[in-house]
Amino acid sequence: MSELHASLLDSPILAAALTLAAYLGGVRLFERLGRPSWCPAVLIGAVLTAASLWLLRYEYVDYRRNVAWLTLLLGPATVALAVPLYQQRHHIFALWRPILCCVPLAAALAALYAVLIAWLLGAPPMVLASLAPKSVTAPIAMGINEQIGGSLSLMLGGLLITGVMSTIFVSLLAKWLRIDDKRLLGFALGVNGHAIGIVRAFELGPTAGAFASLGMSLTGIFTAVLLPLVWRLFG
Amino acid sequence: MKLLRGFLWLLVFQLFGHAIVELLSLPVSHALAGLLLLLTWLLARRRLNESVATASQALIPLLAMLIMPGVVGVFFVIDEFAGHWTAIMLALVVGTFLSVLTTLWLMRRFMPREATDSDTRGRQG
Repeated sequence: MSELHASLLDSPILAAALTLAAYLGGVRLFERLGRPSWCPAVLIGAVLTAASLWLLRYEYVDYRRNVAWLTLLLGPATVALAVPLYQQRHHIFALWRPILCCVPLAAALAALYAVLIAWLLGAPPMVLASLAPKSVTAPIAMGINEQIGGSLSLMLGGLLITGVMSTIFVSLLAKWLRIDDKRLLGFALGVNGHAIGIVRAFELGPTAGAFASLGMSLTGIFTAVLLPLVWRLFG
Repeated sequence: MKLLRGFLWLLVFQLFGHAIVELLSLPVSHALAGLLLLLTWLLARRRLNESVATASQALIPLLAMLIMPGVVGVFFVIDEFAGHWTAIMLALVVGTFLSVLTTLWLMRRFMPREATDSDTRGRQG
């Protein structure tokens, strides 16, 4: 019996089935809860996965090793992000000046504020490196993480919290600053809150959604190109 | 077949990205280099071929599921970062508040007002 248990845990198929089941369960629960922006489907899915790993006495390192072949798809899925970016080129061409001013500054500050606060509170370099890509979409942030050497798990957790916080703060501050331009709100959601911000932006309308995707992609590209360089200079 | 052909295109661009990153020892990931190369190629050709569009439509919705195994890891590093959680949470929450505030301010400062052109033209006319 324990031999069967061990051989099942050693199978990449079980790891993949577990992942798919937990994710689909997460999406299902998310829909049931009325799509709350503070609790994205991937967070529910992650809790379900962690619970099943614990129930099955499945070591996380073994699970990660067995599910690695599935997560390999992240590579081509990241390359695929070029397609929506190409489809939104008219937005980029029409507004290239303000975009060129805002994206580098906003993306740099998103990383800088977090790193600075954590550094002032005495966090070690490993933590700083994990927090720096916090506003970057996960597939690109994972690439950055590889370059600058943070903790992958902490980075992804931080990404999730950042996304959720961005959607909350954008709606709060939009009211406070009396901003109702959908392009602007969408852009701010994408630049700060990556994919989670985009979900919220599409609730505001297709224009906000398009600008959010654009903001997310440009922030991701800009940060991925610059952050490792800056890290190498100061590290 | 369209899906497979598009998937092959994405893999080929990732391999190109891999080759360029390694040859020039650039500090970016292979996939990001692939993204930039594919974008350049699309912009140069000014045409999106249907198979690439199909494959990207199939893959992009999977992104959330593909990162989930990594996200799960956060529950297993809670002890590893014990003592730093206050700094981490403050950096994430306060840092995000500040960056959202700055972005909105910057955008309002630099973005031309929505439909301002037609408004002023209307008033002038």
